[in-house]
Amino acid sequence: MDPETPERTSDHLVPFRWPSAWTDPALLGLFSQNPINCLLFENLAAAKPVADAARAAGLTVLEWNSLGAAPLAEVKWDSQAAQTVITGLEWPRMKLSSKSDGAVEAGPTGAPWIDSNTWVARLAAVRAPRRPVWLGFELAKGDPVPGAADYNIAIADTAATGARWIVSLDDGLRKGLPAGNAEAQKIWRSILAALAFFEQHRGWSAWEPWGSIGILSSFAGKDEFLGEEVLNLSARRNLLYRILDRAVPASHRLGGLRAVLYVDSDSPSRELEAKLKAFVRGGGLLIVPRALATAFAGDKPIECPVTGYDLRSSGKGAVAVARRDWDDPFFLAADVHSLVRRRNDPVTLFNARSLWEHYSVAPDDRAALLQLVGFTSYPNESVSVAPARRWRSATLYTIGSSAAVELEPIPVEGRPEFHLPAFPYYAALEFRL
Amino acid sequence: MTDENSPGCRMTRRSLLANTGLAALGAGLLPRTMRAIDAPAAPVALARCRTYDAELLPALAKMFDQIGGLDRLVNGKTVAVKINLTGDPDSRLGYIPIGCTTWTHPSVIGATVHLLGKAGARRIRLLESPWKSAEPVQEYMTAAGWDPAMFTSAADRVEFENTNFLGFGKTYSRFPVPHGGHLFPAFDLNHSYEDCDVFVSIAKLKEHLTAGITLSMKNCFGITPCTIYGDGAPEDEPGIVPLGGRYPIHTGSRQPPKSSPPEVDPKSPREGGYRVPRCVADLVAARPVHLAIIDGIEAQSGSEGIGPETRHVQPHVLVAGFNTVCVDAVGAAVMGFDPMADRGRTPFETCDSTLRLAEELGVGTRDLKRIEVIGARIGDVVFDYRKAGIRTQG
Repeated sequence: MDPETPERTSDHLVPFRWPSAWTDPALLGLFSQNPINCLLFENLAAAKPVADAARAAGLTVLEWNSLGAAPLAEVKWDSQAAQTVITGLEWPRMKLSSKSDGAVEAGPTGAPWIDSNTWVARLAAVRAPRRPVWLGFELAKGDPVPGAADYNIAIADTAATGARWIVSLDDGLRKGLPAGNAEAQKIWRSILAALAFFEQHRGWSAWEPWGSIGILSSFAGKDEFLGEEVLNLSARRNLLYRILDRAVPASHRLGGLRAVLYVDSDSPSRELEAKLKAFVRGGGLLIVPRALATAFAGDKPIECPVTGYDLRSSGKGAVAVARRDWDDPFFLAADVHSLVRRRNDPVTLFNARSLWEHYSVAPDDRAALLQLVGFTSYPNESVSVAPARRWRSATLYTIGSSAAVELEPIPVEGRPEFHLPAFPYYAALEFRL
Repeated sequence: MTDENSPGCRMTRRSLLANTGLAALGAGLLPRTMRAIDAPAAPVALARCRTYDAELLPALAKMFDQIGGLDRLVNGKTVAVKINLTGDPDSRLGYIPIGCTTWTHPSVIGATVHLLGKAGARRIRLLESPWKSAEPVQEYMTAAGWDPAMFTSAADRVEFENTNFLGFGKTYSRFPVPHGGHLFPAFDLNHSYEDCDVFVSIAKLKEHLTAGITLSMKNCFGITPCTIYGDGAPEDEPGIVPLGGRYPIHTGSRQPPKSSPPEVDPKSPREGGYRVPRCVADLVAARPVHLAIIDGIEAQSGSEGIGPETRHVQPHVLVAGFNTVCVDAVGAAVMGFDPMADRGRTPFETCDSTLRLAEELGVGTRDLKRIEVIGARIGDVVFDYRKAGIRTQG
C-alpha cells in the first residue's frame, strides 16, 4: 500500500502532527514503544529523510493535505476518506478571563465556562458512523503555555467520545524535546501515558452513547447555531443526549429515548413527523418550538412543571410546545433538562460541577461506562456517583494509576453511592450487573 | 387575595408609582424604629433530637403542641413554606449529603409538611429561589439526590414553586415594609408569598459570612427574585429569568429595575454587613413569618455555603415558634452567641445584628428574658459554633 494514501481502515491510527522544524530523524526515538503510530507531515517531500525513517520504523506516514481536514461546517461527509478530520476547534479547557487577572470566566449561572469538543466528535460520529474521528486543535495566540494537565485534558476530552486528538505540540515542547529539556520530557511522558491509557481501553469506543433525550436538528444553515450550542450546553449540564440528525435518517432511532427535542423551526418530513407522533403516542415526550404548535397540537392540556411551555397529552405521551421563540441555547438546555426530568438521568453526581459526564452502554446492556472529564489541574475531590440502576460492581480506572480499583457501594440516604478517591482530570467507572 | 390589607398587593403601574412616591415620603415621616420593649414575644419550643430518623416526627409534633398547636394556624389554609436550598445542589462538604450540612434536611421538611397536612392545611407550597436558576424546585431537589415524592406523599396538595422569578404568576406582588423599612420601602416578590394564608420559614442552624448567622429570618433573604434584585436584572422591568445572584443587595452596586421600589437611601453604606441584615429585617417585616423552624440536628459551622472554613457539626437540636425573631434569638443562643450582641461582638464582628434590626421594626423581641423557652433548656443543648469551627472568637 502506498503509505502516502490514507488506509481505508484507520481505526488503529494514533495521529501526531510532526513539527516542520523537526528535521532530525533521530527525533523518531521519541516514538519508539509508544502509542503514537501515525505521523502527519505538512509537506512529505520536504520531510523525506524523516518520513522514510518513520516508515522504516513501522510508523504510518501521511501528508496533511491528503486528509481532507476541514472545519466542521465544511467537512465532506460523503467522501471516501479513511477518517473524518475536523479542524479549527477550541482547545478543551476551562476558559480564563480575557481580563488580565486570569480569573475563570463564568456562564450565566456562574458555573465556569468550559470549551469542550464533545459535541463536535459526537456529531461527526453520527454523520459518518464508520469512520474514525480525528480532531485538530492547537493553542491560539496568547493562550497560556500548556502544562501536562492541559495536554491530558485535551486528550481526555477527545478520547472520552471515542475520537482522537491529532497531537500537536506547543512551542515549548517543539523546542524543548529536541533539546532534551527535562520539563518538556516530563510533559511528553505524561502525554504518552494518557494516550496509552485510552488505547488500552479502545474497546469502550464501541459502546453506545446513552441519552435520555434525542436532540433532533439539521445542525446546519439557520439551525446551525442553536442546534450545535444546545448539544454543547446540554453536555455542560450533564444532560445526556443522542444526536438525531435530520439529514441522516439512520440516526432517527427513537427507541430507549425518554424525550425528543425538535430544535428547528421548519417542519419535519412527513416520514419523520409520523415517526415523532408514533413516539409520543407510545409514551415519549416531544419538545417542539412555538412555530410547530399546530403540527404537534397534542390533545388535553396537562400541568407543566416548567414555565414557558404548554404541555398536552397525546396517546401515552405528551407534547411540550414552547410559548416563546428559543433564542438562548443555555436556557433551552436547562428547560429541556427540567422537562425530561433529572430522575431519568442514569447517575447523580456530587461535587462534580466542573466535570463533564459521558455515559455509554455495552453492546450486551450488561455493563455501562461513566467517564468523567475534569477541566482543571486541581484534583477532583470527594466526587460521589449515585447510579439509578442497581449495578453489582463498579471498577474505577484513572490515568496514571497502575491498576483498576473495585469500589464498594456505600449506602447514603437509602441508596447506594460510589465515593471516588481524588483524581486529576479523568476517571472512568465501569458498572457491571 | 388582592385587597390592600393583605401583606402583598397586586402591582399595577399606577399603584407602583403611587406606592413609590408614598414610600419615599413616608420614609421621612414615619418613625424609623420601635423600642425593643414594644416588639412582641412568643414562646419558643426547643428540643434535643439526635437524628433525622424515627424520633424526628414525634419531636416536631411535640414542639408544635408546646407552642400552641398548628391546627388553629393552618386548618383550611394555604401554607407557603420557604425552605433553605442555598448553593449548588450537587455540592457537598466531602461526601456528606447536603441536607446534613447546608440545606434544610429533607426529613425536617417532610415531617413539617406531614404535620401541616395533619393539622388541616388545605394546600402546601414548598418555595425556594434556587441560586441563579429558574429550574423547578423539584428538579433542584432531584439534583441533590432527593426524591420530591417524599414531600408530595407527606400530605395532600403539596406543590412547588421556584420564586426566583415570576414563575407561574402573572405579576409580582408588592410588599410594603412597615415604617418605611431600613433598606427598602417595599419589595416585589413572586405571587406565592401573597397567595398564601400562612408563611413558614424552615432554616438551618448556620453561621453566615456576611450576616453573622443565618436562621429563620435570613432564610427569607432568598424570597427576593433575582429577576429584580439580581445583578443580571434589566434596568427598567424585571428579567424573564434570573441571570445572576443577589450581589446588588450585598454591595448596593445597583438599584432594582425602575418598575420596583428603589432603596430608601441610595447614599447609605454600600457594605454587606450593613445592607444584608437590614434587607432581611425589612423582608420579615414586609412578609411576616407565621411559623419559624430551625433544623439544627446536623448542620455546618463557619459559613452558609461550602468553603474552606466550613465544618460539619451535629448540635442535635430543633427550634420552633410562631415569632421568627424569638426563634432566631433562641437559635443564636443555642449556637453559643448572645442574641443581644451587636456589631463588633460575636457573631456580628463585621455586621449589624439582624435580630436587633428586626426587633426595631417591631417584628419580635430578641431578649431571652422575655421569651418563654419550652422543652429543653438552652444551657443544656448549647453547641458552641466557634469552638466547633475554625473562625476565631471576635
